[in-house]
Amino acid sequence: MKKLLLLLMWLSPAIIYAQGFQVNLNGQKQIGMGHTGTGLLQDGASIAFNPGAVAMLPENYIQAGISPLLFKSGFSGAGTNDLAFTKNRVATPFNAYGVWGPKNARWKVGMGIYTPFGGLTDWGNNWQGKYVLESLDLKSIFFQPTVSYKLTDYLSIGGGFIYNYATVDLQRAIPISDPDGNTGQARLKGHGKGYGWNAGVFIKASPEFTIGLNYRSEVKTTIKNGDAMFSVAKSAQANFPQPNTFEAGIPLPQTASIGFGYAASPKLLLALDANYVGWHSYKELAFDYASNTPALQDTHSPRNYKDAYSVRGGAQYKTCDKMAVRLGGGYTTTAVKDGYVTPEVPDANRYYLTAGFGYKVTNKLDLDFSFEYEHLFSRTQTNIESNLSGTFKSNVYIPGVSLAYHW
Amino acid sequence: MKTLKNYLYISAALVLLAGCKPSFETPKANKGTADFTRYIAVGNSLTAGYADGGLYLEGQQNSYPSIIAKQMALVGGGKFTQPLFTEAQANGSGYLKLTGFTPTGSPITTTVTENTAVRDQVTIPGFGNVILYAKYSGDINNYGVPGIKLQQIMYAPYGNLNGYFERLLPGAPPTNSTTYLDFVTAKDFTFFTDWLGNNDALGYATSGGAADALTDKTQFAQLYTLSIAKLTEKGAKGAVATIPDVTAIPYFNTVTVGAILAGVQKANPAVKDIYISARASADIATTTYAPRAATAADLVVLTFPSSKIGQMVNSPAGMVPYGLTPYAPIDNQYVLDANEIALTKDYVTDYNKTIKAAAAAKGLAVFDAFTFLNEIKAHGILIDGVSANSNYISGGIFSLDGVHLTPRGYAMVANEYIKAINKTYNASIPTVNISNYRGVKFPN
Repeated sequence: MKKLLLLLMWLSPAIIYAQGFQVNLNGQKQIGMGHTGTGLLQDGASIAFNPGAVAMLPENYIQAGISPLLFKSGFSGAGTNDLAFTKNRVATPFNAYGVWGPKNARWKVGMGIYTPFGGLTDWGNNWQGKYVLESLDLKSIFFQPTVSYKLTDYLSIGGGFIYNYATVDLQRAIPISDPDGNTGQARLKGHGKGYGWNAGVFIKASPEFTIGLNYRSEVKTTIKNGDAMFSVAKSAQANFPQPNTFEAGIPLPQTASIGFGYAASPKLLLALDANYVGWHSYKELAFDYASNTPALQDTHSPRNYKDAYSVRGGAQYKTCDKMAVRLGGGYTTTAVKDGYVTPEVPDANRYYLTAGFGYKVTNKLDLDFSFEYEHLFSRTQTNIESNLSGTFKSNVYIPGVSLAYHW
Repeated sequence: MKTLKNYLYISAALVLLAGCKPSFETPKANKGTADFTRYIAVGNSLTAGYADGGLYLEGQQNSYPSIIAKQMALVGGGKFTQPLFTEAQANGSGYLKLTGFTPTGSPITTTVTENTAVRDQVTIPGFGNVILYAKYSGDINNYGVPGIKLQQIMYAPYGNLNGYFERLLPGAPPTNSTTYLDFVTAKDFTFFTDWLGNNDALGYATSGGAADALTDKTQFAQLYTLSIAKLTEKGAKGAVATIPDVTAIPYFNTVTVGAILAGVQKANPAVKDIYISARASADIATTTYAPRAATAADLVVLTFPSSKIGQMVNSPAGMVPYGLTPYAPIDNQYVLDANEIALTKDYVTDYNKTIKAAAAAKGLAVFDAFTFLNEIKAHGILIDGVSANSNYISGGIFSLDGVHLTPRGYAMVANEYIKAINKTYNASIPTVNISNYRGVKFPN
């Protein structure tokens, strides 16, 4: 008669992929210059930055780069003196592009594989917010076949179709103790896909001055049949039926960019980019579980993101024919409103500084290094869904290297 | 290539930088105007760390005074020693353990009886049997004695009647004659917490109003004021707590009249009511009881053996089913009826007035447990992604006895005390992370 309904509230897992997850690491030459490139003709990375510029590229390219990313975040709980820090796990955003067209033809075709969104945050399984999140590993790989056509000597257009392959692996603790006092564990692991497109216009206003316009559509990504793994004390396991699957959708936002390039001298190239990221499309995050129980309900969590903006600038100076040094920086506003910040990516307004170095190994082979440092402004928040209250501070360190062969 | 080399040096330096964590300037923890050099905790089972129907080592280690003391140590607080049971006798008095669920989802609990600290049992003439536990003779900062009422703190023979108090005293029963108040104040201290008075109402309530008695309001006020005067006479500062509303605990909210009736109606749809023996008036002077049909306003105790319902029993009207007729109502001891609730609430409200007035007179911090637990009962609480409420077992705050708390519940109490102390004494003792403390342990 001691009727017991185990209404163990299962809070929605949060996947957040704010600016921290918009990784903006689409080419080493561009990273070095503050991640500008919409209005430049640097190399095959134009496929990502501005497909409209591809037909204007002076050569054909095959290139690949990698940008190991270390996201260092810390949390100081309100009222406590306990600090938590993310573990040193390295995410590996990468980029690979191929661009080809006959010499002197008006068109070029290309293929880009790049990772504009993703994130890796691991707080460990013994911190204050472990019931909100232990770790999240989110990867998104865009495959983008592209065509570009030169309408006139000063105007070209281009576009590409985007296929997105995404994987997610989220872990958190469940506040149910087993006989030894250990907490339960939840893990949501799956992969999904989405489609979109990327198009742009490139204008050579003068031999020195170039302009690029780019629009990349929203990529609605759906994860179907992901594994929903719950491990709790056996007597409570029936509340979390196993095996179970989940479905979730994430709308990767649309982005609009305008970029300018100015060759101040044969040695000095200046660039300026401005971006709008349409995060407002991320209104809620819903998880639909195949098997529900009173304890495990489908969840709908409000996200209510706001649009974000960024401004970036950069410069490249050729110290000699073989070498170039690059510098840049930028500022990005956060997409996450107060009350919605979570440990997945404790997003905040941020600035970043970049540096790069390019070396021509041969006339046809470029070796480029980049380094980016991002600083997220400290953010003190009480999350409306979990009541996790405290201050987040984050820095991001991103070295990178690429090889480009061109002919 | 020289530039390349330089670049590599710079990169290496930056990679080293990558090892740096973001830094936080946490405000310096500060004891404010209080002095935590020797903190003592005065109280009953809640203070001792009693949980799951017993006092045992894990409960003691998670007592709210021990949690507070750990945090006080961060602002210069002194050593805090508890009268812990030994590892070999870790199960102390024995306690309830959740061992499973029935097919209908009702919990099955079992009493842990091995590795206890039970030493002996004595019979005290005119009182009854007292279970004795292994003696503790070391330092004591946590003076929590399960079962003690405020009414008993000046009663000299009490050390012979309560095995948990007896274990802290040097003498054997029936020779003990130190009062609780004298015992806790024998050694100087600089800070105290005092959470006495719960049992003065709870004893009556948990017995369904059948046994025990509510402590007289005037006597409560006299003893409370006296004890606070004694605790503060050498200048110690402190924090006191109010007495929770007894109806805020799962002991009274898990087995409901509606659930019992629904269970009976499953087998016998004709049954319309269950009957209880109810107090005729909420006036303390009127003590008559009469059978009547139960309503949702009557609270059934967690320990009610529901199998009794419907069993044929003798009555003035012959053999009748238990609890289903006015001739054999559910016994008084299993039900805190509406009038008993009103009576208890009236007393608790009065006790709390006394507590708040005494605290205000001495400038002490107050943890308003009455408001805190009522708030949790009404709305639940959400801390760091952990949703907790006053439900039995699933709520995470109350232990298996439905009265005392889990480590998670005690950690919340510790944080509330800390907040009250910080506010009153302008201190900044850090709170603890609730997520480090467990709720009820579920069996595998």
